[in-house]
Amino acid sequence: MKNNKQDAALRGGHLGSRRAILKSLGAAGLVTAASGLVLPAHVLAQLTDDKPEAQPRQGGRIRVATNSSSTRDTLDPAKASLSTDYVRMYMVYSGLTQFNRELGADLALAETIESDNQQDWHITLRSGVTFHDGKSLTPQDVVYSLMRHKDPDVTSRVAPIAAQFEEVVVTGERSLRIMLKAPNADLPVMLASSNFCVVADGTTDFSRTANGTGPYQLKEFSAGVRTIGVRNPNFWKPGKPYLDEIELVGIADESSRVNALLSGDIQMVLAVDPRSTKRVKRSGTCDVMQTESSLYTNLVMRQDAYPTNNPDFVMAIKYMTDRELIKRALFRGYATIANDHPVAPSHKYFHHELPQRPYDIDRAKFHLKKAGMNGLRVPIFASPVATGSVDMAALMQLSGIEAGVHLGINRVPADGYWSNHWMKHPLGFGNINPRVSLDELFSLFFKSDAPWNESGWQNQQFDQLLLAARGEGDDAKRKQMYWDMQELIHQHCGIGIPVFMNLIDGYDKRVKGIFPIPTGGLMGYSFAEHVWLDA
Amino acid sequence: MMAAIKSMPMSGKVGAVLAACWLFLALFGPWLAPHSANEIVAYDVFEPLGGDYILGTDYIGRDVFSRILDGTRFTIFIPLLAAALACSVGTLIALYSAVSHPRTDEIISRFMDALISIPSKIFSLVMIAAFGSSVPILLTITAISYMPGSFRIARSLAVNVANLDFVTVARTRGESRLYLAVKEILPNILHPMLADFGLRFVFVVLLLSSLSFLGLGVQPPEADLGSLVRENLSGLAEGAPAVIVPAIAIATITIAVNLVIDSLRGAATYAARGR
Amino acid sequence: MKVIFQLIIKRIGLSIITLFIVSAVVFFIANLLPGDAAQEMLGQSATPEAVAALREAYGLNDPPLTRYAKWLTGLVTGDAGMSLANSRPVSELISSRLSKSLLLAGLTTVIAVPFAMLLGIVAAMYSGRRVDKIMNIATLSMVAVPEFLLATIFVLIFAVELNWLPSLSYIPADAGVYEYFRAFALPVATLCIVLSAQMARMTRAAVLEQLSQPYVEMALLKGSPLSRAVLRHALPNAVGPIVNAVALSLSYLLGGVVIVEVIFNYPGVASLMVDAVTNRDMPLLQACAMLFCTGYLILVLIADLSAILANPKLRTGG
Repeated sequence: MKNNKQDAALRGGHLGSRRAILKSLGAAGLVTAASGLVLPAHVLAQLTDDKPEAQPRQGGRIRVATNSSSTRDTLDPAKASLSTDYVRMYMVYSGLTQFNRELGADLALAETIESDNQQDWHITLRSGVTFHDGKSLTPQDVVYSLMRHKDPDVTSRVAPIAAQFEEVVVTGERSLRIMLKAPNADLPVMLASSNFCVVADGTTDFSRTANGTGPYQLKEFSAGVRTIGVRNPNFWKPGKPYLDEIELVGIADESSRVNALLSGDIQMVLAVDPRSTKRVKRSGTCDVMQTESSLYTNLVMRQDAYPTNNPDFVMAIKYMTDRELIKRALFRGYATIANDHPVAPSHKYFHHELPQRPYDIDRAKFHLKKAGMNGLRVPIFASPVATGSVDMAALMQLSGIEAGVHLGINRVPADGYWSNHWMKHPLGFGNINPRVSLDELFSLFFKSDAPWNESGWQNQQFDQLLLAARGEGDDAKRKQMYWDMQELIHQHCGIGIPVFMNLIDGYDKRVKGIFPIPTGGLMGYSFAEHVWLDA
Repeated sequence: MMAAIKSMPMSGKVGAVLAACWLFLALFGPWLAPHSANEIVAYDVFEPLGGDYILGTDYIGRDVFSRILDGTRFTIFIPLLAAALACSVGTLIALYSAVSHPRTDEIISRFMDALISIPSKIFSLVMIAAFGSSVPILLTITAISYMPGSFRIARSLAVNVANLDFVTVARTRGESRLYLAVKEILPNILHPMLADFGLRFVFVVLLLSSLSFLGLGVQPPEADLGSLVRENLSGLAEGAPAVIVPAIAIATITIAVNLVIDSLRGAATYAARGR
Repeated sequence: MKVIFQLIIKRIGLSIITLFIVSAVVFFIANLLPGDAAQEMLGQSATPEAVAALREAYGLNDPPLTRYAKWLTGLVTGDAGMSLANSRPVSELISSRLSKSLLLAGLTTVIAVPFAMLLGIVAAMYSGRRVDKIMNIATLSMVAVPEFLLATIFVLIFAVELNWLPSLSYIPADAGVYEYFRAFALPVATLCIVLSAQMARMTRAAVLEQLSQPYVEMALLKGSPLSRAVLRHALPNAVGPIVNAVALSLSYLLGGVVIVEVIFNYPGVASLMVDAVTNRDMPLLQACAMLFCTGYLILVLIADLSAILANPKLRTGG
């Protein structure tokens, strides 16, 4: 809903009215003082529709656990790569924009983001924002924060996305301009990722300190052990944040994590197993929050290797995926059936007229026969690190026997899976995190020359549509293009997507102010600025 | 064989019967299973004892009884072979070391010290990441992990024995080193080494389950008993048989193996005395 | 006494050789690992260019032997190198965690060793009687429980249900004795059970072995009471195998406790080494291996010294 309104506003010269909305929101003192990009009336209505919560209370301390932590933990936004890192980034830093619950982005450090052609973007910064060390936020800080991703020595994780920046220049005391190499309407959403958080100009040493503009100041950081943040009294959102202190730890083992929540040692945990939800709810003191997301674990069928280069074999595999069973048995219903393309039903560009591919052993048999691959033995690679893939492989193996193909499961350790197995075998699994921007998702994983074109899929029509959609200002046309792309993936790509997994967080009921943000667990990893403790 | 069992004390007989039962299940379990070990048979997970499924269902609704019948063979044969390999190789090297020139002994001992000081879980992690986790690899890893430990114990026993009077006498008598090792020392360290074998069997069982905790171990959908405990751990809070029964199974297997060995030890002691 | 002093000097010399062997072995097997630190660092999002840049920065383009030689010369001059994953000195990473690991290991040792010896000796003295049989079954059952199950059962009972103890071993900065006790109770209990059972069984076997020796039988025939025979004759001769078993069990407390560290979220050196493997962080991996080996060698030295002190024959024979 968000981008078309934004585009309309940007193009149609409704800037004045948009600012007016912003102002009135700020005056009402509602949730975010931001939201110029989005927040038209319907969102506002939804916010007030929520069950009325008590007035947020200041003070208190909570401990929060994610599911991963190691000596690789970092304070450098360019290097953030695991859930603990994402949470830490949003604790200490702010970005130009931030994700909201509507699969879009609100304005954060940026006060306005405007573009006439989706290529040339003008940004004005909020005034009066200071870093934790007292320095004021300037456009130069933003220029530095964005351009450092293009420096090969920084080895940024988002270097492929930052490659789109042609140049970023300061244009005034509070303004800057981002020139892209080609139009991209999704820039505001892309800038909300934790990797694009804003650091102070010239910062190169991130080993011990983090000087950001975020809601919490870093008090202690010990990689692989814990992070402690204390309330930033000068945070740019008035009245926020609420807690005095947040301690962040990583507990890799799910049952330890849940036990720590139930015993009261931890107040919020990321990634609760669907099987543990009953226990958490029954405790009386704790509850779970479900976030529908577009996170998925997918089958990868390489288009450049036997036997997965045979379209009939790929089709057979797609038809023998028992999505209902996967949803029910593996995820206890905490999942949404997918249709072999990566766009979740909650997305505004979701192709809802595309027929759902059923579980159909007869058609799988037909395609196998057509391919002449009856009775074939094929290894399938799975790993605990691709959530659910090991059990999915076991289910695929069983339907394979019925359909007439023998899938031999190779479970490989989480250790080294991404560099040594992912995309390296004819048949394997991948695991893709939610991306709000379809352009980003398609460019990273489906375009012919994409860095992680998982199945090695080459489709010129798809590539042309993708480029065209990027610069397309008309939302209806853009939507049609994204529909066509989904259909192409659904029909021809060597990717099988059984379900989208819901994210489940556990929390102590005394923690308030929690709502789902679909880009990740723990409110899109950004709970720190929102939650408060009801004593 | 029958005579050996007859001469056992009561505990040994109980152990032998238990061990025989488990051996039987390890050999024929997969054929006795009422369901396929990998098939999801029920919608409900962690079902209790005695419903439609004798031992309930596991974390995704598979039949626990069938999975235990299927998994027992891994928990019996991998540790049995690995422990036998580790103990026999360790003891042989120790004997060689004990009767060799002190310098050779020193070199072997240092090398074993080096191996032993590498934590077995880390070693397994590296080896499995490098070679994958097939049954032969697991067997090799566990055997290598526990061989130096066997060596150390066997060597310290052997050195002790080698210092005893009757060995010194034999040495001055001009007996060959092979004779000293096999005829004089080995019989005297055999009993403690058998106890060591029993413990090492248990260690391998435990290492396998530790590996499954770390996401290594036997390849799914297959699972040894330790992996069954691990994969159903989230059912522990509700007392699911899916986690408790395999744990009890592991305990009875280890107890059975050790009871048998203990009583064999008793028998061996008599034999040694009769010498 | 001179013999002992000489032995210590000799052992220190030999330890260096052992450490060298460990570093070579670890280096060799770590080189079997697929992938390198640059790939692991960038993970799922690695592009060839980024990997190449990082590899250059880490010096991974040198041939393996050159890297090993560099590391070794560094170590000899007292520099364990920089962690690749974290770009901090390895010594700093390890020292912050080593004290924690030693604390856990120390507490466990103080409780488990006397307990296990007592169990083992009593079982041997009453060998074949009911006490022995019960202890036998009890220690066997305890040995057989996977430690992650034991730890989880403890957490469920004492932390989740009864709420007496914390489920995570977390020590606040200003912790008093009471907080320490609470934080360590569950992990130490888990480790004690895992280790005592093993040590008790080895103690029993070693003492029993001596009790069946002719000289002890002779003493018993001469009318010496059992307790005296055990304490004066059997035990001194059984010390060798017992302390060896104890040393082996205790060396487990540094590198082997990764599961306890994971479950109680205790930041010790074992999980540091797992991180090092996962991140292909060679300098850190090597340093951890050196550390565990040193710990082990110290334990073995103590074990051998006690064996020599206890056995007059070895004392003079060297």
